[in-house]
Formats: sequence, C-alpha cells, structure tokens
Amino acid sequence: MHPIVVRDLVKRFGGVEVLRGISLDVGQSEVLCVIGPSGSGKSTLLRSIAFLEVYDEGDVLIEGRLLGYREKGGKRILANEREINDVRSSLGMVFQHFNLWPHMTALGNVTEALRVSRNVKRDEAEEIGTAMLRKVGLESFAGQYPARLSGGQKQRVAIARALAIKPRVMLFDEPTSALDPELVGEVLAVMRDLAAEGMTMVVVTHEMGFAAHVAQRVIFMDKGRIVEEGAPRELFSSPRSERLQQFLNTWRERSI
Amino acid sequence: MTAGLDMDMLAHYGPLLLSGLWVTIRVCVLASCIAVTVGLVLAVLFLSRYGLVRWLVTSYVEIIRSLPILVILFLLYYGGPSFSLTLEAEPVGVLGLGFYGAAYFAEIFRAGFLAIPPGQIEAAQMVGLSRAHILRRIQLPQMMGLIVPPSVNQVIVLVKESAVLSIITVPELTKNATQMANETFAVVEPYLAIAILYWLLIEAISRLGIFIERRVRHV
Repeated sequence: MHPIVVRDLVKRFGGVEVLRGISLDVGQSEVLCVIGPSGSGKSTLLRSIAFLEVYDEGDVLIEGRLLGYREKGGKRILANEREINDVRSSLGMVFQHFNLWPHMTALGNVTEALRVSRNVKRDEAEEIGTAMLRKVGLESFAGQYPARLSGGQKQRVAIARALAIKPRVMLFDEPTSALDPELVGEVLAVMRDLAAEGMTMVVVTHEMGFAAHVAQRVIFMDKGRIVEEGAPRELFSSPRSERLQQFLNTWRERSI
Repeated sequence: MTAGLDMDMLAHYGPLLLSGLWVTIRVCVLASCIAVTVGLVLAVLFLSRYGLVRWLVTSYVEIIRSLPILVILFLLYYGGPSFSLTLEAEPVGVLGLGFYGAAYFAEIFRAGFLAIPPGQIEAAQMVGLSRAHILRRIQLPQMMGLIVPPSVNQVIVLVKESAVLSIITVPELTKNATQMANETFAVVEPYLAIAILYWLLIEAISRLGIFIERRVRHV
C-alpha cells in the first residue's frame, strides 16, 4: 500500500484553479522532490496532501485512508477534526518559516504533542524529545527559546518536533528557502540522514542539489499541473519539455 | 455661605455613599466576569469555519457597539416586561453592562488571536493538537501580554459607565450621591466625594492591571 496516493486533485482559490488534476503515488521509503516556478501550485499540493488546504475534487489517501472527507450515503462530506487528525497522524510536516512556538523552549516544542495529546508522561516525553534533538544535533539547546536560535537551528528543532510523533511520511515545504545560505547545509544534512534511514519524504524545494543527490524521483510542476516527472538524473540532464528547460536554464544562470 | 466643604454632611452621608460604592463594585465585578467570558466565547466563535456563526458574532458586536449603554438598559428594564422579562434594576444593570462589555472584549480578544501567526496553528494541527489544546496551550499564553492592557482599560470604562445605572434606579454610587444632593440641596459635597471614590476605585484597578501585566509578560 502506498503511503500517499493522490488522484485527480483539484483545488480552487476563488475562481482560480491552482491545482488542475494532479495524480501521483509516493512509494514506501521514496524521496520525492517537487520543483517548479512560484505559482505552479507545488506548495498548495503539499498543503492539500496535509489537508491544511481543503481540496475541492479528487482524493488524497494516506496509507489507503481518505483524508479530509467522509463518504456518507454515496455523498462526500467534510470530515470532523478527530477524523482528520486520525488519518493525518502518520504525516509530519516541516514549514518554510519553521513555525516554532516562541513561548516554549526547544524541548518544550518537541514534547508538546507527546504530553498533551498523546498523554505521554513528562519524563518519558522529555526522554523522547531529547533523543529527537540529539538526532538533529541540538541536544545541548534543549532549554533554549526559539528567539535565541539561528534559522538553521530553528528548522532542525522543527524537524525534531515533527519526528517526535513518529510519522511514517515527512512533508517538507521549502524547508531551506528562508535560511541564509551558510545555514542551509545543516538542515539538508539532517534531511539526507532521514532519507538514508528509509523515511518516506515529499520535499518541495528549490535546492536542486538535494533533489539531484537524494531524491529517487522529481516532479516538475507548472501552472497547476505535473509537466514532467522522472529520476533526477534524467530530468536535469535531458529535460523533455520546453518549460522545464527554461526553468533549469534560469537556475543554471544564477549558479554560475 | 462659608467657603469650604460641609464635613458634617459628608460624615452623615458617608454610609450611604459607601453603600453605593459597594453596589458599584459588586455590579462591576459581576458585569466584568460576564463581559470577559462572553467576549472570549464570541472571539473563539468568530474563528469558526461556518460563515453563519461568524455572521452571527459580527452582527452581535456591530449592533451592541452602535447602541449607547443607556438605550440597552432602557430596553432591558422598561422594555423587558413586554418580552416577559421582568427583572429588578440591579440584575438588569449587571446583564446590560455585561453583554454590552462583551462586544468590546470580543474585539480585544479577536485582535489577540489575529496576532498569532497562522503558521503556528498549522504546525500544531500537524502534530495532532486538538482545537481546544491549541487555544489553551498555543494561542492564549501568547495573547496574554497583548490583551491585558486593553482589557484593563475596558474594565475601567465599564466602571465609569456603571454610573449610568443610576438612571434605572440601581442604588450604586452615583445614584446615592444624587439622592444625597436631592436631600441636602448641596452639589459640591456629594459629587466631589464620589469623584474621589471613583478615582480610588479605578486607581486600584489600574494598579492591579499593572501587576497582572508584569506577571503575564514573563516570556
């Protein structure tokens, strides 16, 4: 069973179709990167998979279960909070702007979900939390508040927080786009290790190096559709569509 | 006429004024509790995903905010019986002030909610926190520093507006001062006395507000 199945996904904002019928499968332990120009719908796709955006048509199936909606007498209705959280519990998400809770320490951020909604006792939660922080190299920062952390450290705490609930799929929405260039590496290193451990990952990114070296598959989106998909080596060295060629050219120009 | 205040008169009417002060305090404490609670409920309902709920909340706030408190009190006290709502003056005063203040507190709390970046809420949803937990653990703790000063201000406004309850015969501070003025034909002593008493009451609330603000801004 695929961890994620997306079928004919359509999402509209007002009258504008931002996702125009997306279908894709993500396999167990697969690392899938989604690239494309801004406005292509890649973040909307990821957020729809997480049901942070309510998609209008199509299906999102997490480990075979429909996310966000319930079938009732042949009709589809919006699922309630409990049902959504239940299906969504195998997902973890990391955001472009970290979204740490500033009034809690790093350890507090990581253990909050464990203590509050999974009813794990404080000692056990702190053990798990410390282990997660150690995994991202920030064990000694457990007592620090987010305001005192660098961007790269904040993002690594955010990754630890997402991992604490033991998700089976990790979603990354442009995880390094808000970081200074020198701090990007430490975050990509953590993501590379995660991939090596067999985590199923969907990453929306502009980091072509990461996509080239870590992803098994890359999807190029433009104007709400998947234009090309394939192994990174093929996509980057011999793009078939003109749109992808243009996109890669602008990236190459900026890299020289 | 001698210049200066008639201290004997003040001593004689002291108990009446203090009794009025006690009623004012009682009414304002109860009305504030109603206003804060109902205001918070309204602000949370305003975040509902259902347009109808949001519309109801907005309508309530808009209507209340466009009515003078006196009109609301008249409607409840004199108009109430037509809707089989017969209450005594003090309960009318408490309910009127309470639901009137609720509209203003709803706006204060709504501004507080808006100040929390939505990304933090999304991150909380993605780790499986329920809406109630998000409110209690993520939103309210961060909002406290923002909402305490305007809330203290609103309570002070409520106390000052409670003077209007005198018009529907609630025996609070202003009403009793007016009674004193009617009986003695003096105007300076009663109103100067209650000016000082109001000032003391509101000063105490301000000090309490500063204390709460310091405690709440520990992050």
